[in-house]
Amino acid sequence: MNQHTEPANFEDRNIPLDAPHPLAAQFEAITKEYTLDKVKVRALGGISGAIVQGATTFITGPSGSGKSTFLNILGLVDRPTSGALSLFGEDVTRLSDAAAADFRSRNIGFIFQSFNLIPVLSLRENVEFPLLRHRMSARARRDRAAAYLEAVGLGGMMDRRPGEISGGQRQRVAVARALATEPRLIVADEPTANLDSRTSREIVALLARMQAEFDTTVVICTHETQLIPPQSPVIEIIDGRLA
Amino acid sequence: MIWKIAFRNLVKNGRRSVTTALAIGVGGLAALLLGGFVTSIWYGVQTSMIQDQGNLQIYRNGYLEFGAANPEDYTIPDWSAAIALIKADEALARDITVITPRIDLAGIAGNAATGNSKTFIGQGVVAADLDRMRQWDGWGIGQPGTPTGLPADPAADKVVVGLGMARMLGVCEALAVPDCKDAPDAGAGREADPAAAEYTDLVAGDAELAGLTEQGTGLPQLNLMAATTEGVPNIIRVEIAAARAQAVRALDNAFVMLPFDQARALVFDGSPEATAIMIQLTSPDRAEAVKTRIQGLLTDAGMDLSAYHFTEVDPTFTRIFGMFAFIFAVVSAVLALVIVFTIFNTVSMTVVERVKEIGTIRAMGFRRGFVGRLFLAESALTGLFGAALALAMGIGLSRMINAAGVQWTPPSNATPLTVQLMVLENPVFALSVALFLIVIAVAAAIWPTFRASRLNIVESLQRG
Repeated sequence: MNQHTEPANFEDRNIPLDAPHPLAAQFEAITKEYTLDKVKVRALGGISGAIVQGATTFITGPSGSGKSTFLNILGLVDRPTSGALSLFGEDVTRLSDAAAADFRSRNIGFIFQSFNLIPVLSLRENVEFPLLRHRMSARARRDRAAAYLEAVGLGGMMDRRPGEISGGQRQRVAVARALATEPRLIVADEPTANLDSRTSREIVALLARMQAEFDTTVVICTHETQLIPPQSPVIEIIDGRLA
Repeated sequence: MIWKIAFRNLVKNGRRSVTTALAIGVGGLAALLLGGFVTSIWYGVQTSMIQDQGNLQIYRNGYLEFGAANPEDYTIPDWSAAIALIKADEALARDITVITPRIDLAGIAGNAATGNSKTFIGQGVVAADLDRMRQWDGWGIGQPGTPTGLPADPAADKVVVGLGMARMLGVCEALAVPDCKDAPDAGAGREADPAAAEYTDLVAGDAELAGLTEQGTGLPQLNLMAATTEGVPNIIRVEIAAARAQAVRALDNAFVMLPFDQARALVFDGSPEATAIMIQLTSPDRAEAVKTRIQGLLTDAGMDLSAYHFTEVDPTFTRIFGMFAFIFAVVSAVLALVIVFTIFNTVSMTVVERVKEIGTIRAMGFRRGFVGRLFLAESALTGLFGAALALAMGIGLSRMINAAGVQWTPPSNATPLTVQLMVLENPVFALSVALFLIVIAVAAAIWPTFRASRLNIVESLQRG
């Protein structure tokens, strides 16, 4: 893929196209098929485009449109059936399982719909957990986890367990955990789906603030279009294709 | 962090963890108690044999192979010279506690008073030496041997017979032996056996010819007839001092233990011969080194003798211990199988419950091996708790059983022993069982853990 190829249909979605745009992701003709109860399902029907670095991009679409599938491929937890994907200029389409894991640990942070915190660990330990993949002293890990929890406003409850805090607070912890490894890309799959509208707005605002503060690239998959701030880049997927 | 997560997950699933650890603990407990019993047999049977035969025995070369058919050709020509040679060696002084000759003999025993006679298998021993040997308790298991019952004087004319022998000779009541009744007069109402009557007359006649007289001590008398090394029939008259049960019925029915000088007079006609020299050591651990040293001395002195460990002379110990070791192995294998299935089931359930966590961890960039280590650590901890439980219960229960004073008679013994489950007394074994429990707990978790680590990340994240 040409790193400077202008993504189709992005101009009217507020992608700043004045060249050169450093790209976080480029994808070309991405398809994804899987078999469900012996029936072949085509989740993605050939998606091409790019995601600009240092911005918060939203992926929207109705339920079952393929947006989560696309996000999984973007986050290297799934592989496309065909097509090509590069992240930060590196072709990652056919990475081995171990190489993909290494790439994720260095470059990608995840935020999940149902927070996915490890219930037996404290909030600080949860944030510290992904840092185990990094060469850091235990003290450095603890300090960094504490700093990111402070950043998301949970500095006062580091030793609590996930079961002792609210859903919104859990998602804040998940944000801190995703940021703790200082990744270049954060993918968030329906991060507000389990939250009330006020908390959802807070989380989106937090993600936007963190994106700006830590200069990372954030891709948020959501079906709640009312949460998308004006001027935000948006990729809309319907029936496995870009709208 | 892995161990922290493992430990906290065990605490979180407390009931399941306790159940699994208990299964491991109970399995380990059974292995420890059975092992403790086998250990006590190992020590107990060896102690009995060392008390009776010594750790080492010296025989004329070829005796073990051919001596039974032709004992007079395989006797030790001068036992006192061999003993003097060994005693003179300073290097052996610290190792040897008792060194004593023994004469094995066979013949016909008859009780003129009851008219009963029977073939006998005899041992001529220095009673004072053998009694000292029977006090040996080198492993401190509290298993004192039964005194021989012979007078200390090697020339005394008292013998000890097996319980069965006493019964057949009809001397139980005369000796006031508990649990031993003389046989009812089986010959009552039938014609007397002319052969037995002839023998009794013959022995009585020979005794008279030999100038043997009644002792007059009130103890039952016994005439022992055997062939000397020259093939000449010889006879001695002795008194039966006591009857002692022997381990093997066939031996019990024919056993006569007599003072060394009496045996010597009967079969060697006073010559300095003996069948064997028994050597008891301070520590069984030194047996091989002492044996090598003694063999060197005997060879250097040009003596046609060889030293043997008691297990070479009598395979009883090896067989008994082999049998119990095999039972232990089979039971342990069954227990291990039960533990493996329990752990397998527990880990499989844990994996199913934590599929989403596995997906999350993998998404965060951890490799499959990390997920594997996470679950293996949990199993190892479960195994560790189970092993600790097994050790605690094993030590406690073995102490209780030992204190209860339950008795049993091992195959090599004539008298019952108090059951001693040696768990803590054999720390290497106890720790090996504990380690084994941890190892099989980890091994049993390998397959479900492997499957967990291979889960599809997307599918894992979509669960629950």
